[in-house]
Amino acid sequence: MGNLKYVGKSVVRQDGLEKITGAAQYVDDLDFGQHLLYAAIVESPHANAEILKINIKKAQGLEGVVRVVTGDEFPYRFGLYMHDRYIFAQQRVRFVGEQVAAVIARTPEIAYQAAKLVEVKYKVLKPVLSVHDALGVHQDFEVEKNNMIHPDLSEYKHVPWFFPKDKTNIAHFRKIRKGNMEEAFKSADHVFEDEYSVPRYAHCAIENHVAVGLLDHSKRLTLWTASQSPHTQRHLFAEALSPLGLTHKDIRVITPYVGGGFGGKAGVSMEILAAALATTVPGSPVKVLWNRSQEFVNTYQRQGVNAKIKVGVKNNGEIVALEQLLYWDAGAYVEYGANVVNAAGLSATGPYRIPNVKIDSVCVYTNLPPGGPYRGFGYSEFLFGLESHFNEIAKKLNIDPVEFREINAIKEGDELSYGAKMNPNGLMEAIEKVKKEIEWGKKDKSSDPNIKIGKGFSLFWKAPAMPPNASSTCFLKFNEDASINLLISGMEIGQGYFTVMGQIAAEVLQIPPEKIRCVTPDTDRNPYEWQTVASHITWSCGNAVKRAAEDARDQILEVVHRALNKKIEDLYLEDEAVKSKTERDFNLPLKDFVINGIGLKDGTFRGGPIVGRGMYMPEFSSALSNPETGQGGKPNVHYTVGAAACIIKIDKETGKVQVPKMVLAVDAGKALNPDLVKGQITGGLLQGLATVLYEDMRFDKNGKLLNSNFTDYKIPTTLDVPDEIVPIIIENPQSDGPFGARGIGEHTMIPVAPMIGNAIEDALGIRMRHMPLTAEKICMTQLTRRD
Amino acid sequence: MTIINDFDYVRPTNLKEVFKLLNQNKSAMLLAGGTDLIGNLKEEVIKPKLLIDIKNIKGLNKIKYAKNELLIGALVTFDDLIHSQVILNKCPVVMEMAKTVASKAIRNRATMVGNICSAVPCMDSGAILMVYDARIVISDGKNEWDEPVKKWFKGPRKTILKKNQMVMGIKLPIPKGDHSGVYMKLGRYKGEDLAQATCAVVLSKKEGIKISFGSVAPTPVRALSIEKFLKNNELNEQTVNEIKKLVEKEISPIDDIRASKEYRMHMVKIMLERSLVIAKERLVNPAPAYGISHL
Repeated sequence: MGNLKYVGKSVVRQDGLEKITGAAQYVDDLDFGQHLLYAAIVESPHANAEILKINIKKAQGLEGVVRVVTGDEFPYRFGLYMHDRYIFAQQRVRFVGEQVAAVIARTPEIAYQAAKLVEVKYKVLKPVLSVHDALGVHQDFEVEKNNMIHPDLSEYKHVPWFFPKDKTNIAHFRKIRKGNMEEAFKSADHVFEDEYSVPRYAHCAIENHVAVGLLDHSKRLTLWTASQSPHTQRHLFAEALSPLGLTHKDIRVITPYVGGGFGGKAGVSMEILAAALATTVPGSPVKVLWNRSQEFVNTYQRQGVNAKIKVGVKNNGEIVALEQLLYWDAGAYVEYGANVVNAAGLSATGPYRIPNVKIDSVCVYTNLPPGGPYRGFGYSEFLFGLESHFNEIAKKLNIDPVEFREINAIKEGDELSYGAKMNPNGLMEAIEKVKKEIEWGKKDKSSDPNIKIGKGFSLFWKAPAMPPNASSTCFLKFNEDASINLLISGMEIGQGYFTVMGQIAAEVLQIPPEKIRCVTPDTDRNPYEWQTVASHITWSCGNAVKRAAEDARDQILEVVHRALNKKIEDLYLEDEAVKSKTERDFNLPLKDFVINGIGLKDGTFRGGPIVGRGMYMPEFSSALSNPETGQGGKPNVHYTVGAAACIIKIDKETGKVQVPKMVLAVDAGKALNPDLVKGQITGGLLQGLATVLYEDMRFDKNGKLLNSNFTDYKIPTTLDVPDEIVPIIIENPQSDGPFGARGIGEHTMIPVAPMIGNAIEDALGIRMRHMPLTAEKICMTQLTRRD
Repeated sequence: MTIINDFDYVRPTNLKEVFKLLNQNKSAMLLAGGTDLIGNLKEEVIKPKLLIDIKNIKGLNKIKYAKNELLIGALVTFDDLIHSQVILNKCPVVMEMAKTVASKAIRNRATMVGNICSAVPCMDSGAILMVYDARIVISDGKNEWDEPVKKWFKGPRKTILKKNQMVMGIKLPIPKGDHSGVYMKLGRYKGEDLAQATCAVVLSKKEGIKISFGSVAPTPVRALSIEKFLKNNELNEQTVNEIKKLVEKEISPIDDIRASKEYRMHMVKIMLERSLVIAKERLVNPAPAYGISHL
C-alpha cells in the first residue's frame, strides 16, 4: 500500500464546524412554510385487543382539524424482512402505544386535542407478555389460534432465510447443527449448564424520530426523514403504497443530518405514517414528530432474550460442544427484529473454535413494543450469557479465565458454526494487549473495607448482518477548483462516516480531505445505499468511494494521455496535480482541466467534467443454507473481533459500582481515522455500561411501559464516564476492505455487560445472571447470599 | 412535547398586583423557576388558566443573614445557594444539598421555595429544612407570617399553602456555636436523578444532633427517636444496630420504579451511619470537604 498520506491519519471531522456552530440542519429544523400540517396519533391503551368501533365525529368537528385518518384507508402491511407490520392497526392492536388513527390539523395543539376526541371501542384480550407465555405448554410450541398474536402468520411474505412456524407464535426459528452433540457431550470431562437473561433496551438517540411527507399535485411523494436508511425507506414506502399507484420514481426521500441512530432509525417505523398521511392531504406537507415517550414505545426496542447454555469441556479447558438455546422476546411486530434473531443464531458461539454446536435462536411474538435493530444486533445479548458462563467454567476447572479464552479463541481458517471459514483476525493480539494494559493477574485492594475491587474480561466479535446482496454506490464529482462533492447515501450519524469517505477519495486522488464535501442523501440525486447499519458502511461504501475515485483517476489520466500524448503508465497524481515519472517538470494542476478539459493548440478542448462512479456488492455472500442445520451458505462477509477488560470498585454495602478503568482492543483491519475509532470505542463502552448498570425498562402487568422517559430510564451523563478509557487499535488488514479496513462501530459496546458481570464476580464472588446489574440488585444479592 | 392547553401569562412588577391576580383568578398559578411547572403543564397534570410569573418582583432573589437567621428569598435558585458566600460560611450543608439537585441547567432556574411548594416526596430541600427547623414565610397580601416546616408538608404534592397565598421565603435558624451538617442522596447514578432516599444530619456542639430522611415517606421525616437515643449514647459498634432498628420505626418507604422498599430501608441505615461519622468528623479538622458526593 506504500505510504499513505490521508488514510490512517486523524483528519478533523468534515461535519465538525457545521455541528458546533449549529449550522447543521436536522429534519425538525427545516422550514416547510405556513401550509405545514401537524399529525397527532391515536394510540392503543391496550397490549392486546380487538378494535370494535372507531368514532371520529367529535374529532372531525374541532376547528382546525383537516382530516382524521383510520386504518380503513390503509389496509396494508409492510416490513423489511417480513411483511407483518401495519400502517394503522387493522381490527386488532398488539402493543400499548400502537397507532390506531391519526388527526391532521393546522397546529400541533389542535391535533393533540382532537386525537383525544377520537373514540375507540375495544374488546380487551389477555396480553401475552413473556416468551414463556407465548410459546405455550406444548413441545412443538403450538398454541390455540386465539392465542396466536399473528393468526395469519403463514400468509406473511418474508425473506427466504426465515423459517416461521405455523400455528405458533414463532416468527423465525434459526437452527444451527454442527458435529455430533451426543458424542461430544459424552466425550467431555465436564458439562456445565446455566440460564441467563437480558431484558429489552431503548436506543435513546438525542434526536427524536420525525418525518414530513408531501404529496404534490403531480402525485410526487417526498419524505423528509430522520433516518439511517433513505433508500430502503423509499423502497418500503413504494411497496406499502403501491396500491395507491406510487412507484419508486414517484417517491423521494430526503435525509439531512441525523441526531443519533444506534439502529433505532434503521428501516421504517413511524415514518410510514408521514408517507401515508401525506397522501390524504395532497398539496400540504404533514409533520409527524415523536415525543420522547413515543420514541421509547413505537419505534424499535432492543429485544430481550432468555438463554439456556450447555457447554462440554475437557479437563485441559478445551471446549468440545456448545448448545445455546436463545428465546427472543421480539414484540408485536418482527419485520426487522427477526433478522436480529437470525444473526445471533449464526454467531452464538462467540469468537471461539467449537467443533460441535447446536443453536436454536427463536423469534417469539409477544404483546410488547416491536423489537428491532440496536447497536450490536443480538451479539450483546447472547454474549452476556456466554462470556459469563465461560468465566464460571474456568473457575470450576481452576483455569484462569483469560487462559481459558486463549485455549479456545478462534483463529484464521477455523470452521465457523455454519461451515464457512474464519477470516484473518488479531484476536490473540487483542487478548495479549488488553491483558497487559489491565495488568491481568494483579489483584488490587482498597484501604476502605467496604470497597471491593474486581477485574473483568470478555472477548467479542460481530459480523455485519445484511442481505447477501446489500450494496453501496458513490458518485464523485469534481468542481472547477478540483474540490469534490461525494454523492453517497450512507448517513453521517455521528460515527464520522463523511470524514472517512473523504479520506478515502483524498488518498486515491491525492487531494486534501478539506477539499472534499460529502452530500447528505436525497434519493433523487444520491446513488443507492442499502442502509447505514451493521457496521458495514466504512467497508462497503468505503469500497464504493474508492472505486469511484479510481474511476475518476482513470478518466483524468486518460484525458491527459489523449490530449497531451503522455503514456498513462508514466502518469501519477500528487499534490492536486498530474505528474510524470519520466518528466520531472511535468505538473498539470487538476483545477486546470477537471471541468473544462485540456485546451489544445488549435483552440479545441479534450475531456470535460470528471464524474467518477463506484459500486460495491459482496458477490461471494449467500444466505441460502439447509434450514435444519444452517450449513452451506456464507451469510456473513467477515467478522471483526477484539477483547476488552475493566477494573471496577464496588461498595459492598450500597452496591454502587465505579469504573476506574476500561480497555478495549479491536481489530479494525486498518483504522482509516484513528481518532474516530477511539471515539467509537469510548462511546460504545459507555453505551454498554449503561445497559449493564443503569438502564432498566419496566412494564406493568398490562404491558404498558412505565419509564418511557429520562426521569426513570437512565443513560449515563458525563459524570458517569469511567475515569480512564484505553482504546487499542489492532490492524490485520481485511483483504476486501478499503485500504484493509473493516467495521468497528457496534462492536465496542458488545463485551461490556459480561465483563462487568465478570468483574462483579471477581470482586464479590457473586454471579449475576439477569441484566441489568444495578446497584440495587448487586446490593440485595449481596445481602441475601447464602455463604 | 407541546403544551396543548391554553393559558394567559402575566409578569407583574409588584406584589400588590400578584395578590390581586391571585384573588381574582382561582385557577392561577405562580411561576418562579418553572422547572416542575412546565413539565406538569406538558403532561397536563395541571391546567391553569393564568400563570403569574414572579421573576420581575424585586427583592425576592436575596439570601440575607441577620440575628443568627438566614433568609432565602422565593426566587433564590439552587445555583445561587451553591455560590453564596453566606451559605458557605453559615451552613455549607445547604450547598452540599443544592449540588445534588438535578443538573446544572435545572439548578440555574429551579428555586428552593418552588421545590417545597411542589412538595414531591423525592425533593431535595425537605430533609435539610427539617434538620434546621426552618420556617416558611407566607403572605396573603395583607399579612405575612411564619409556619414551621414540620407543619408545612401535608402529603405528597400537598402543603398548607392556600390558593391566594404566596411563599415569600424560607428562614433558617443557624445553631449557635460550631455546627456541622451532612446531606446524602441516593440516586441511581452520578448524573441528575430524583432521590431514591435522602438523609440530612446537623450536629451542633450546643444543640446536639438533628436527623431527617426524605423520599422514604409521604413527607420528610424528622427522626426524633434516633435524636433522643443519640443524646444519651455515642455512635459505636454496639449502638449502631440499635440506631438501625430505630430507622425502621421512623420511615415507611414504598416500592416504586426508582427502588424497592427493602433497598431504601437498607440504604437509609447505611446513609445514616455514614452521615453520623462524617458529621462528627466535620466538627473537627481534617474532615471530608462539603459538596462532594458521599455515595
